Amino acid sequence: MIMRNRFFPSMLLLAALFALAAAPAVAAEAPIPKNNPDSTELVNKMNVPGDITKGLFWNGKTVTFHGEAIGEVMVRDSYAWIHLNDDAYMERNVEEGAKLGGYNSGMAVWISADLTKQIDTYGDYKHEGSIVEIEGVFNAACKEHGGDMDIHATGLRILRAGHVVDDPVQPWKVWLALALIAIAVGLWRLDRVTRNRISPHRGI
Amino acid sequence: MIVRPRKEDHLVIGKYTGKVIVGVGLLMCIPLLTSIAFAEWDTAVDFIVAISACMIFGFGTQALCRTQKDLSWSHGLVVASGSWFFATALGALPALLSGHAGSYLDTLFDVMSGYTTTGLYLLQDLDHVSNGLNMWRHLLTYAGGQGIVVIALTFLFKATAGAYKVYVGEGKDERLLPNVIQTARAIWLVSLTWLGIGTLFLGFRGMQLGQGPVRAFFHGLWVFMGAWSTGGFAPQSYNTFWFHDIGYEVICIVIMIAGSFNFALHWAMWTGKREEIRKNVETISFFVTLSITTLVATFFLAQANIYPDAMSLFRKVFYQLVSGHTTTGFSTIYARSFVTQWGPIGLIVTTVAMAIGASAASTGGGIKGIRMGVISKALVQDVRRMISPESSVIMEKYHHIRDTWLDDGLVRGVMTVTIAYLTLYGIGAIVGAMYGYPLEQAAFEMVSAASNTGLSCGITQPNMPDLLKVVYTLGMWLGRLEFMSVFALIGYGVAVVRGK
Repeated sequence: MIMRNRFFPSMLLLAALFALAAAPAVAAEAPIPKNNPDSTELVNKMNVPGDITKGLFWNGKTVTFHGEAIGEVMVRDSYAWIHLNDDAYMERNVEEGAKLGGYNSGMAVWISADLTKQIDTYGDYKHEGSIVEIEGVFNAACKEHGGDMDIHATGLRILRAGHVVDDPVQPWKVWLALALIAIAVGLWRLDRVTRNRISPHRGI
Repeated sequence: MIVRPRKEDHLVIGKYTGKVIVGVGLLMCIPLLTSIAFAEWDTAVDFIVAISACMIFGFGTQALCRTQKDLSWSHGLVVASGSWFFATALGALPALLSGHAGSYLDTLFDVMSGYTTTGLYLLQDLDHVSNGLNMWRHLLTYAGGQGIVVIALTFLFKATAGAYKVYVGEGKDERLLPNVIQTARAIWLVSLTWLGIGTLFLGFRGMQLGQGPVRAFFHGLWVFMGAWSTGGFAPQSYNTFWFHDIGYEVICIVIMIAGSFNFALHWAMWTGKREEIRKNVETISFFVTLSITTLVATFFLAQANIYPDAMSLFRKVFYQLVSGHTTTGFSTIYARSFVTQWGPIGLIVTTVAMAIGASAASTGGGIKGIRMGVISKALVQDVRRMISPESSVIMEKYHHIRDTWLDDGLVRGVMTVTIAYLTLYGIGAIVGAMYGYPLEQAAFEMVSAASNTGLSCGITQPNMPDLLKVVYTLGMWLGRLEFMSVFALIGYGVAVVRGK
């Protein structure tokens, strides 16, 4: 009787311990909120619709922006260029099963090269890049960088570490490839045989 | 009366189309090797599937279409346009199998864009695609720039009179050397030499900018292919804005302009006729129209006070306009910035530059510099006739490799193609406007597609209407093959159905 009474609380305690242990992982996978403003709004939003002389709404303002570090860091002396994508593939790319969600979109960020050392992974076919949050001044046409649209960042924080992406070969593709190779070889032989039958001396 | 093609006509068209498609399959071995080198096994299997499909089509048609007959002019035109059609349908397989395309239509759009050196794309999550697929995208545009028929001529065709007819069918009519196979090989000699030098410069600059050696090399190679072929594809979604460097932009500008020049001009320079670049009507026309469009755009954007200083203003305007005028499609601004920053005047000026386009028999598209030159000369001739005594004989000539006197037949031919281009631009713009896009944006996007440029103001998106995708795809095809080959293919289809 005593045993039975202790069983359920023990199970509850065990479950709670498991939940606590799993909490960081669950928290890590929680969806990252959308940027405000996001890259699309930074490019598009104007003070007065249709009046380009008024300049862009966000131009010169300090923004907080996060996105997947993509490609590579390009260090130029003590500063560096990184590119942060805040698109549909920021947390998971197509190879990992993300639904297609349009083009990539993001922002170029000019930042201290030392700060970029925190970024462990840059996104490409085999990697999902770290999700990085930066704070800095948005320039619709940067005076320092030949009119480029960029953010001059003063701070950087890693929201989620990057990881390696596996893209295993799909078995149905292998079977399809083998079948097509067999047909192609057969037709190649047929082509050679019928060609020689018509004219034994003709080349291609 | 429409004459129905005979069995022998089908056989000769099938045989040579099959040869071109075998060439496309062989070309896919390069991205296959790239995938293997980077251990991208799923992508490698995609390419094996696509190569096998090309070989099945190529060997199958060659086995079925056994004939000794050589090509006539109409056969050559149908083979050229038909080859482009099937090369597009089969070349789309790797992108479709990659899972990065929304539909088969999207991949057809992308491959047609690659072959025609346009540069618009619907591929999604480009920043995560494999190196193999990126190699294929850029190889498509590099091969398409030289002409996929030129590739097949170089490696797979015998030197027959018919070979020249397929070559012309692909929108090229320059015979650099007496034999068309030698001409095709001369085109490759020029292109491969530029490929080596251009990749070296861009790769080296990429390393200076902080790229690792492997990425710098491949980015250099792919950006060269995009620039030389006036294609406009780039390995990152940021296009050449990725590099944030005036040095990289200058190298791109040199390659874009060189790629937009006529192969006959390249050959003249190659063989020591250096003064040709100064005298050629196409280079003169290009520099005049580029200067005018740059001046106008700079003036209006300076008024709008978009860029912080004169240097930034000129750098942005000149790069986008060289890219537009050479029909490359590289950009260092966001697509929507054409609307939000450049505004209607900037859009219209860029549209005009794209509509005029590059040189004939080059990798570029558009109405072409030689036609602009001939039309200008004809206009001057007419004005001189009006102000001269009736008895006087007024003649005008233009220089392209040799001096040619203007005559009515020549001018009529030039005007016919020019009107065909303008009609194509107009129809596409109207279709875009009917979908609710502002007219100047719809015109910008259609001209970009039909002149094989690839700049976008944001209309081209994976979720845009399917009919618009079809219109842009047809625009790219018609614009690249300069109408006649595609009309010949349509005529062939009509003759099969309705001929007697």
